[in-house]
Parts: sequence; C-alpha cells; structure tokens
Amino acid sequence: MNGLRQVWIVSALNFRSLRARLWQSLVIVAGMACVIGVLLSMLSMTEGLHNAYINTGDPRAVFVISAGAQWETQGSLARDKARIIMDMPGVAKTADGSPIAEPGLEVGVPTLAKNGARAWIILRGFGSQGQTLRPEFHLVSGRMFRPGSHELIVGVHANERFRGVAVGDKLALPDGAWPIVGVYATGDLRDGEMFGDLETLMLSIRHKTYNSVLLRLASADGFAAFARQLKTNPALNADVMTQHDWNVKRSADFNQFMRIIVYGVGLLLAIGALFGCFNTMYSAVAARNSEIATLRAIGYGAFPVAVSVILEACALSVTGAAIGAAFAWGRYDGVLDGFGGDIFRMTVSPAMIGTALLWAVAVAVLGGILPALRAARRPVVEALRAT
Amino acid sequence: MKFFPLVWAALTRKPARAVLTLLAVSVAFTVFGLMIGLSATIDGVAQQARADRLFSVPRFSYDDGLPIAVAQRISSIPGVKLVAFQAYIPGYVQNERNHIYLNMGDAAMAQVYPDWQATPAMWEMVEHDRTGIVMSRLQAQRWHKKVGDTLTVISPQTTKADGSTTWTFKVLAICNDVLLAPDGFIFGNYDYLDKSLPLAKQGRVNEVDYVVADPAKAVGIAQAIDQAFASSSSPTQSENEKAAYAVSNNFGGMDVDLLTHEIALAGLGMILFLTANVIAQSVRERFAEFATLRALGFGDGAVIAMVVLEAAVPCLAGAGLGMVLAAFLAHHIQAIMPPGFGIPMPTITAAVYAGAFASAFALAFASAVLPVLRLMRMDIATALPRRA
Repeated sequence: MNGLRQVWIVSALNFRSLRARLWQSLVIVAGMACVIGVLLSMLSMTEGLHNAYINTGDPRAVFVISAGAQWETQGSLARDKARIIMDMPGVAKTADGSPIAEPGLEVGVPTLAKNGARAWIILRGFGSQGQTLRPEFHLVSGRMFRPGSHELIVGVHANERFRGVAVGDKLALPDGAWPIVGVYATGDLRDGEMFGDLETLMLSIRHKTYNSVLLRLASADGFAAFARQLKTNPALNADVMTQHDWNVKRSADFNQFMRIIVYGVGLLLAIGALFGCFNTMYSAVAARNSEIATLRAIGYGAFPVAVSVILEACALSVTGAAIGAAFAWGRYDGVLDGFGGDIFRMTVSPAMIGTALLWAVAVAVLGGILPALRAARRPVVEALRAT
Repeated sequence: MKFFPLVWAALTRKPARAVLTLLAVSVAFTVFGLMIGLSATIDGVAQQARADRLFSVPRFSYDDGLPIAVAQRISSIPGVKLVAFQAYIPGYVQNERNHIYLNMGDAAMAQVYPDWQATPAMWEMVEHDRTGIVMSRLQAQRWHKKVGDTLTVISPQTTKADGSTTWTFKVLAICNDVLLAPDGFIFGNYDYLDKSLPLAKQGRVNEVDYVVADPAKAVGIAQAIDQAFASSSSPTQSENEKAAYAVSNNFGGMDVDLLTHEIALAGLGMILFLTANVIAQSVRERFAEFATLRALGFGDGAVIAMVVLEAAVPCLAGAGLGMVLAAFLAHHIQAIMPPGFGIPMPTITAAVYAGAFASAFALAFASAVLPVLRLMRMDIATALPRRA
C-alpha cells in the first residue's frame, strides 16, 4: 500500500511541475499526434474497404465462378452450366419451388467521379431472385426498374460519387441510352454499383455467358456437401466458396499491400517519435534532478520515482495520440472513397482508436524506461550536490 | 567556417541528445524520401506517357476482348500511323497467389513501343521462336529466370484447344524495365497464343495499340473510333496514354499525390517540435556563453549564424542519412509486396533530394527562430556568467 501511495504522491508532484516543462513536453504530444494522425488516416481507408468487403454476404450465400477467376468479370459460366448449378440439391427454394439463386453478370462501365477522376462503375444484373437473395436491398428514392425494360437503378454510394448517374440521367449502353429511374441501398459494396434487369442487360452487352452464380443454401452447414457435389462434376469446372470467402479472397492482395504500407510508414514514424520521447524524458529527468534527489533523501523509494517518469511519458503520449485520433476521425470517418469500382466509407472506429492509444502507451513505455532507470539509479548524494 | 569549432563544441556537449535528434530527423526524412519519391514516380509516369500513343479496349466486356478486325478497322482511320495488338494471358506460377501476366503481341509492337526496352531484335526472336518470351528485369528477378530458362504459367482463363491450361515459355531475352510498367512486363508471341486456342476463341485481342501522326488530334481520333464502334458488337473504350496515366487516375482514383505529401509533411511536423526544442534547450543552457560572445564583440549576424548552424547540422545530416535509407528501402519495397500488385518503386530523383535538403534548411531555420529572438533581446550585462 505504502508503495502505491508513494507512486501517487511522486506522480502528482511530477504532473504539477509539467507546466514548467511545457514546451519540452509538447515534443512528445506533437510527435504522437503526427504518428497517430497519419496512421489512423491511412487505416481509415484500408479498414473502410475491408469492412465493405467483409460486410457483403450472409453465411448461407454461396458464390460459384468458373475455375481460377480472380475477379468476377473474368468468370465465364455458360447458361446450361448455370442452370445445373442453380438446380443442384441443397439450394434454398422459394414458396413456389424455384431455387433462390441467380446467375451473376458484372460489367464495368467507364465513367467519371465527381472530382473528375476517371473511374468505372459496376453494372450488375438483377433478376427475379435479386430481392430474395439480397433481403437488405430496398429503394431509397425513385422507383424500381420494370423487368425487361431498358432501365437502371443506382446505389446510394454510386449516386453520391459518380457524375451522370442521378435519377433522370441516362447511361449509354450498346443498344441505346438507359434512363436511371431509382436509387437503392443494400448497406454493402453493392451500394457503389448499378442494377439493371439481368436478361435484358445480357442482350444489350451481348454476353453469351454469365460471370458467376449467386445462391442461397437451405442451411448454412450444407456448404461442404454442396461444394463436394459441385466439384465432383467435371463438366462444371467451377470454383465454389461462400460469398464471404470470395470477398476475402478478392481483397486479400490489396489488404496485404495496404497493410505493409500503412504499418511500414506508421512504424517508421513511431520510431521517430520514440527518439523524441527518449530525448524529452531524459531532459525532464535532468530538470527534476534536485526534486528527485530531495524525494529520495526524505525516504521515497526508487520505484515510485521511476514509475512517475514512465507515467508522465504515457500521459503526454496518450494526449498526443488522442489529438491525432481526433483529427483522423473528424476528417475521414464516414467519408466516401473509392478504389476502382469498389466504393466504401472510410472509418475510424473506437477499436482502431483504442489500438492507436495502445501504440502511444508502448512508445511512451519504451521511450521512458531508460530515463526512468537513470532517475531511479542516480546516487542521492551526488544528485543533491550537483544542484 | 570560423564558427564551426564553436558549433561542434555545442553539439558534442550532450552527445546522447545530439545522436537522438539526428536519428529522429533521419527517420522523418526516410519517410519523406519514400513518400515524395513515390509521388515523383507517379509524376514521372504521367510525364513519360505519350500523347500520340493510344489504346482501345472493350468498353463493356473487358475480359472478353475485341475481334481482331477492330485493329484492321482502326488502321484505316485517317491520322493513325502504326497499329499493333495484344492479348493477355493472366495466370499464376505454381501457387494461385503468384499472379503473373503476359502480354502477347504482334510484330508491330516493336514499332508502336520503341521506348519500351524490348528491342526490335528481341521481338524478332519472339517472332521466330513462337514459344519464346522477353522478360523485363523485374519480372525475371521475381521468377528467378535467366535467358534459356523455362517459364511455366497456369492460366485457368486461357484454355488451349487440347483442354490444357498450362503454358510453357522459353526465356529468350531479358530487357530493362520502363517507368510505364511499374510491375515489369513479359512480352510473347500473339500468333502462338491465338493458334493454341480453340477455334471459337481465336481471332480476338484484348487491346489495340496505335500511334497517331499528330498528338493534338489524339483525343478526336479516340472519340471517332469509339463512335465508329459504339453500336457494333464490340464497343470500344479508347484514349491516349497521357490521359490514362494522368496523376489523378492512378491507384483506382485514390489521390496518392495528396496522401504522400501529407504523410511527408506530418513526418516533418513531428520533427520540427523536436529540433526546435533541442535548439532552444541548448541555447538556454549556454546563455552565459552567448553573453560572453556578445561582450567580446560578436555581432547579431554571427550569433544568428551560429544558432542556425547548430540547428542545421543535425537537420542536414539527418536528411542525408534518411534519404540514403529511403533510397535503399525503395529498391526493396517490391520484394515484400504481393506479386502482381504493381506498386511503383519510389524514385529518389535529384528533385526529391533537392526537396529534402530544402526542407532540412527550412526545418533548421524554423527551429532557430525562437532561440535567436531570445538571444537578440538578451541583456548582456545580466546574462554574463557570475562567478565568485
């Protein structure tokens, strides 16, 4: 108990003298603010995209694509094959007995973002089972396209990000201009896309084969049996995975790439901040030299003194990190961004901020430990004499 | 530099502090070098991209390609000088995650891409040895290939007439890389690919590349071509390299230029507080010494020069060290990235070095401002050392 009380008293004394060392202390605060500000700003992008990928798909949703395709437009499934896959046992059925499954068609259409950058918008076929397969799909404004007609609806994020895709605008497709008649939301990556009637689009784009098949299993644990069945049919020559796994696979390279960059830069900056922390805490210890010596002389232990130094470093570092986190959160949380055709909201979540604060504590402990040892080890007599 | 001994003495008074400052500054400039170097690469690509070279790809079904007749049609359009075409083999080596990508071109590629490092002689070799390829150095290093080796690619998307998806190539030549292809490139023989495919899939290309006589007319020609094919069975999307490689169009529309500059700036901001504080502290500790110097007749200019110099030494040395480290790391970035992702290598150009040293000077001046002001206002008599 006595030890803890000493820690408390010495630290309180320490914090009260912080004002005298204000400018010095700002080195740690500003350093960590920069490190965490940069780290979280960059992470807001990767986490936002990651969330968008991971959000898509319920556990029963299964994605089938021709073997080896790395992205959806590479896939090629002939109509007869798609039919076989959709009619396989294990697929959930609607009340009228038709399978809850639909061939996938994804077309990239060149367009411009609102800031003038070139981009492409993903145009997706939406068939009779489109709504059943995507229970979260709902219209936000306008109306649904009429089946069989040359009409499109646009996702809320695409509507916000791209030029010329508002309700009333027209999109040029090979067989003419298709008017946009409504805006929808799904809460996932589909919000950055456009939907049109599947078979009408197939004709317009002159696609002979679908890209993929999306289906729902009757039960989530039926996947293994379904996959075995599909893989043992050599005529199909297709890959099958849950929609979640497909999204993970599709984003794996990008994630690895971004993480290396983000954590690489974050680590470098953190090392810089660490040196700053070292420097500051050494001078803080030097400035408190006589105070520390006096405390030791009147009977305070070495441990409370050392702890007070580390606590000071932590407090400054966490303050800086909080400032950096507030900046990143204010500037990027919820902002719409896009990577190619994938539109997502950047995010700075409480969990990310928590992790950032832990980084700050780690830097402070590493940067404070040697100065703390020096403060604790300095012979009292010598320290008193020096002043 | 008559002040240098004095400055050196000041710096070495607290060696630990000097070393820590130097290291922190070095780290900040490593980040600066990598970030501004990346931005320089992107600018370089945008500059090197040619306004008179265009390409047409399928507007809607990117992966399905265009009929080869599109190339012939384009060559008949007035203003178009040279036309080449290519088809891709996307695939992997051994493991699905080892993405690889081959550009199978026709003989005219050598004329359309004279600035790429595959020479006409190398293209000639590929013409004669149909299973041969030319690899850029980067790709050759990635797959550990040298001239004469065999490269085996699995491409599930490119099935041969006999049903096989395994493609075996012979490395005929290795050439230098070009800025326009940050991930390197592999050229092969289009005709070999085409004739290996099932009959129904033959005669298609992924991309038509062509050079126009007058770069000023490139945009108009691109529009004319897209209009000509708009209601055909294969609508095209055409543009010149200049537009395609414009800085704003990189990285799927992410504003990398802005991002890199902000990160570099944040790094410098972090260091500014540190250097400013170190200098202020050092000057405060030697206040009496400065008073003595002034009393001896050192003028304002001399005192300012000394403080600025004391700040400049760690800043400039740190900038130098940091840039060397950045240049070293830049060369190894591609090795740690997933293959086939194509992050451009940061290029530490002379301009990047100049930017770094200009920033180092700015940092030194900014750090010295407050201490210098304090010294200017100093009352010499009270500041002089008092000793019994």
